[in-house]
Amino acid sequence: MSLSDESGALDYQRARETTMAAPAAVAERASGLSRGILAALGLTALLALAIIGIGRHGDPAPQLQLSLILGATFGFVIQRSRFCFLCIWRDWLDRRDPRGLLGIVTALAVGITGYTLIFGAWLPDPSGTRLPPTAHIGPVSLALVLAGLAFGAGMALSGSCLSAHLYRLGEGSPTAPFALLGAVGGFILGFQSWNGLYLWTIAGAPVPWLPRHLGYGGALATSLAVLAALAWLLLRKGSLPARPEPPRDPLVAVFRQRWPAWLGGLLVGLIGVAAYLRVSPLGVTAEIGSRSRQLAGAFELLPSRLEGLDSFRGCATVIRDTVLTPNGLFIAGLVAAALIAALAAGEFKPRRPTGGQALRGLSGGLLLGWGTVLGLGCTVGTLLSGISAGALSGWVFAAALGIGATATLKLGRWAGWPL
Amino acid sequence: MFALSLLRRSAITLAAALLLGGAALANSGPLVTTDWLEKNLSDPKVRIVEVSVEPGLYERGHIPGAQNVVWHTDLVDTVERDIAKPEKFQALARKLGLDKDVTIVLYGDSNNWFAAWGAWVFDIYGLRDNVKLLDGGRKKWELEKRPVSTNPLTAKASAFTVAEPNRKLRARLADVVATVEKKSEARVLDIRSADEFSGKIIAPAGFQELALRAGHIPGSVNVPWAQAVNQADGTLKSPEELKKLYANVGIDGSKPVITTCRIGERSSHTWFILSRVLGYQVANYDGSWTEYGNTVGLPISNPAGTVWGGK
Repeated sequence: MSLSDESGALDYQRARETTMAAPAAVAERASGLSRGILAALGLTALLALAIIGIGRHGDPAPQLQLSLILGATFGFVIQRSRFCFLCIWRDWLDRRDPRGLLGIVTALAVGITGYTLIFGAWLPDPSGTRLPPTAHIGPVSLALVLAGLAFGAGMALSGSCLSAHLYRLGEGSPTAPFALLGAVGGFILGFQSWNGLYLWTIAGAPVPWLPRHLGYGGALATSLAVLAALAWLLLRKGSLPARPEPPRDPLVAVFRQRWPAWLGGLLVGLIGVAAYLRVSPLGVTAEIGSRSRQLAGAFELLPSRLEGLDSFRGCATVIRDTVLTPNGLFIAGLVAAALIAALAAGEFKPRRPTGGQALRGLSGGLLLGWGTVLGLGCTVGTLLSGISAGALSGWVFAAALGIGATATLKLGRWAGWPL
Repeated sequence: MFALSLLRRSAITLAAALLLGGAALANSGPLVTTDWLEKNLSDPKVRIVEVSVEPGLYERGHIPGAQNVVWHTDLVDTVERDIAKPEKFQALARKLGLDKDVTIVLYGDSNNWFAAWGAWVFDIYGLRDNVKLLDGGRKKWELEKRPVSTNPLTAKASAFTVAEPNRKLRARLADVVATVEKKSEARVLDIRSADEFSGKIIAPAGFQELALRAGHIPGSVNVPWAQAVNQADGTLKSPEELKKLYANVGIDGSKPVITTCRIGERSSHTWFILSRVLGYQVANYDGSWTEYGNTVGLPISNPAGTVWGGK
């Protein structure tokens, strides 16, 4: 049974109905070793070999190896828990199902708490002029709002955000490859419009960091209070569906059935904290951006200088001259582990893409890519890692993205598009 | 009983004095070894300061007890092109608990490149003989698998009073022009790569071309800075080897020396070697090629003949 609907986006409601109607289809351990499970075991062994090989021969080995491990963990978690920002938003919009959003709230609460713990060690006094190293604290400008709106529209059109397209790639989604291809084009358009927007609104924009103004304690308390208020609102206004019977078999609970969103959120938050502590803030677009930039450079589609772009925090798109980069391995691990998880769960269902899916993927991807360059990251790099770091830019991007996605969904449906 | 405990106590004191004496001996030069530093990590009279090029390196793991100095904000004037003003340096040194009565060990990444630059700024403001470089810097410490820490540390502030800036350690444009016009006997040592020196390129790969002209200061000689370092572990070569390396181009300490590079930071590494290890009279020219090579009307030497980055 596939949990993905036509537009490539997960439909929680449909999945739930299927689960309730035919519990045997999902909630049962596959009898014996099915082909999917064998393939998953084989791929897991290959992934383990890659992790060992990079630990031995990588340079710098610890960062590359850890990036691959964290990427694989992240991919497994977001596939199992369906950590897809658009699906979660649609669940709320269409059915007032608050569970996915509560998962995001959980991820942010864990992220903020963990980041504060690290900040206290790395930058004991937040009141100076310095920012904690590499944390995704970006400028708040009109360009950031435009980036969020475009990104939200791109999510609605293509069926999900970039991180979810990556794990969908592992599920054999027909839309994801086109969305990622479109994103490369979007990145190139983003680089071409960067200088103008930089001079117009980004160069003079403030880079607000909540702990500088409120102290670590104040920023943590304020952020947690906002998240608690959001959770309260979601529970009050939303309607929790009847709780399905939890599976008795732990293997089924972990490998076959979808994880609850709060568990996904908890783990995503923890992976984000671990990544910041040991490598760099979580992000899924640095490698794609950097390779797009390389490509654009090769075809002379790049301005000779991108003013100030590389001086900002966020998913950096600086061109690296090495084959293996930490973010590249993170992405590779993400897709591989999502494929393994999908195979084990019987959710790997490759389908031939239709013309509509290709078109929606390409056009939505274009908007996703453009929004990522101007927003210095996506739902993971700017929203999750930004809000975790106490950056106002993360909150602004989140709000703009919600508006962009909602407006596109409503307008598109009104126009009769299958969104 | 009392006598016995008194005896024991004085024996301990004596042993401690011997140990401390040993420690003092080990750090009498301008360099300390990684071994010495690890043994003296908890010595309250030792202050460790990391000055690294790469931002975020310190925070993710530093020598236990080390404090962080960010070269591009802490040690420079962020508005004027200048080193930190005396008041700013004094405030920083006080905050870090630095003074003349403690041993200050500087270290960093890239073969102590910026740690040496820190030592130059420290020297200008009166902290000289008690300032040491960790031989091999971060590189050797990590190669030897010694521990790093991420715990923050707040030092007890000192009452350090900044000295008048020592002009002798810092060459200005006029000092360099005087050598070109043969009005000064100082020798100019350019530590950039051979290709920058000859004028084939204006800046090393990955760096912005900040000068409009290629080449070098007329009469200057070239010894790329990294030649002074053992590439395996980042330690400095022996004083004898170093003496020979520079004597080959006529820098032997008989005349004052001016070190220079692109922006005056790599050259402070060579400044440290010549000034602190070999004891020559050396001034670092922090204006370097981006000042000299950009100044209107000054003569330059450009053997490669590169103009505007091309022929």
